[in-house]
Amino acid sequence: MAEYKFLVHKEGDSVGVASDDLKPGEKIKGRVLEGNKEYEITVLDEIVLGHKISLKDIEKDEEIIEYGEKTGIATKTIKIGEEVHVHNIKSRRWGGSK
Amino acid sequence: MKDKILAYKRENGKVGVRNHVLIIPVDDISNSAALAVENIIQGTLAIPHHYGRLQFGKDLDLFFKTMIGTGSNPNVAAAIVVGIEPNWTNKIAEGIAQTGKPVEAFYIEKNGELKTIEKMSRSALKLVQYATSLKKEWVDFSEITISLKCGESDTTSGLASNRVVGRFVENFLQNNGTILFGETTELTGAEHIIAERFKKKEDKEKFMRIFNEYQELIESQEVDLLGSQPTQGNIEGGLSTIEEKALGNIQKIGKAQIDSALDYGEVPVGKGLHFMNTSSAAAEAVTLFAAAGAVIHLFPTGQGNIIGNPVIPVLKITANPKTAKNMAEHIDLDVSGLLKLEGSLNDHADNLWGKIIETADGKFVMAEMLKHREFVLTKLYPSA
Repeated sequence: MAEYKFLVHKEGDSVGVASDDLKPGEKIKGRVLEGNKEYEITVLDEIVLGHKISLKDIEKDEEIIEYGEKTGIATKTIKIGEEVHVHNIKSRRWGGSK
Repeated sequence: MKDKILAYKRENGKVGVRNHVLIIPVDDISNSAALAVENIIQGTLAIPHHYGRLQFGKDLDLFFKTMIGTGSNPNVAAAIVVGIEPNWTNKIAEGIAQTGKPVEAFYIEKNGELKTIEKMSRSALKLVQYATSLKKEWVDFSEITISLKCGESDTTSGLASNRVVGRFVENFLQNNGTILFGETTELTGAEHIIAERFKKKEDKEKFMRIFNEYQELIESQEVDLLGSQPTQGNIEGGLSTIEEKALGNIQKIGKAQIDSALDYGEVPVGKGLHFMNTSSAAAEAVTLFAAAGAVIHLFPTGQGNIIGNPVIPVLKITANPKTAKNMAEHIDLDVSGLLKLEGSLNDHADNLWGKIIETADGKFVMAEMLKHREFVLTKLYPSA
């Protein structure tokens, strides 16, 4: 079995979740939870287990999709392989981060 | 899978998995007497709290519902109620007595605390002998009510531990079990999914009314809940927004349909899956679930919330391998293997089923051994 370092809730999500601590420059594989779709991404940031990694280039103000649902909006452009967290996305519902 | 447990069948037919003689203070100033009896008499358990004076209206109703519900919980064999004055004390004692279990009431005013402690202690001697003479019986696993609430969640909760609970819930409901869940604010961003799961239109409407009322309360305060929801611990664990947290949260009910929407502390009618309006604060929610009859609570945690409850075992499940290792004394089931795709969801859900059966049969969970007894009342508005 391939060594997966991140998992994706649903096909079509814009983010995956690190299932291990990730280092910049690492080329890693991930997999969707249900189904067989695999991803291969080069990590751009230090990302600790549980934090999210971008699966695509995301424009500022673009919706973030996780679980196949809208979970927030990008507050700046995000490159594939970057960490996705409160520094670059915010809630659509409650204020959100700076 | 094993579907029979050795448990206590109470006078009203409800099934309990623990056998407490509970000492219930009615008000903050009776805590001292309740704790004194717990110290003197082996086998008693006091549940101190901060309220029970000068409450009114809906808040007072909820107070009585919670206190009566807690004493009526099937994990309680017998209860002693102690308050400063007779009226409210009797109201709680009479409410609990409706279950048919032995209940005695004591008042401190005009007696003094020391005399009251002596009378309560003598009463406790009889009640503990009664409780410890009770025999467990074989009953169907499906006869118990189980509640759900996660805490100090992180992304591993939505990825794995909540999903394991969700698969268990699907299986338990298929076996005719009863499940309670809640956390009104932690459904924000997933409320449309929950709303569509209600079997009956009137329950969907009741749920949306409960949900919207809380959103309006937040708006009326001209705040948003960021920093409070998600919590700092949630953010540390990788959760960025309330929507993401809510979508992870609802994994706990799997794909199940919902049988009813309940207000704070309301006892469900019939088996199945029931939503209850609760705070997302762990101790408040678990206290309300226990007051509505839950006898075991399932608590998935990511970053490691250590909550327990005095009357019901709170069983902790984590999928975060760091938490499983660093906080091992709090964790009952480690499902972190799922992050490495080790074992199927069904395998882990079966392990959880086994853990719950063991707990129902009497094996202590970690929170019980660590004496975590958080009993926290939900307060709707300031006291008069």
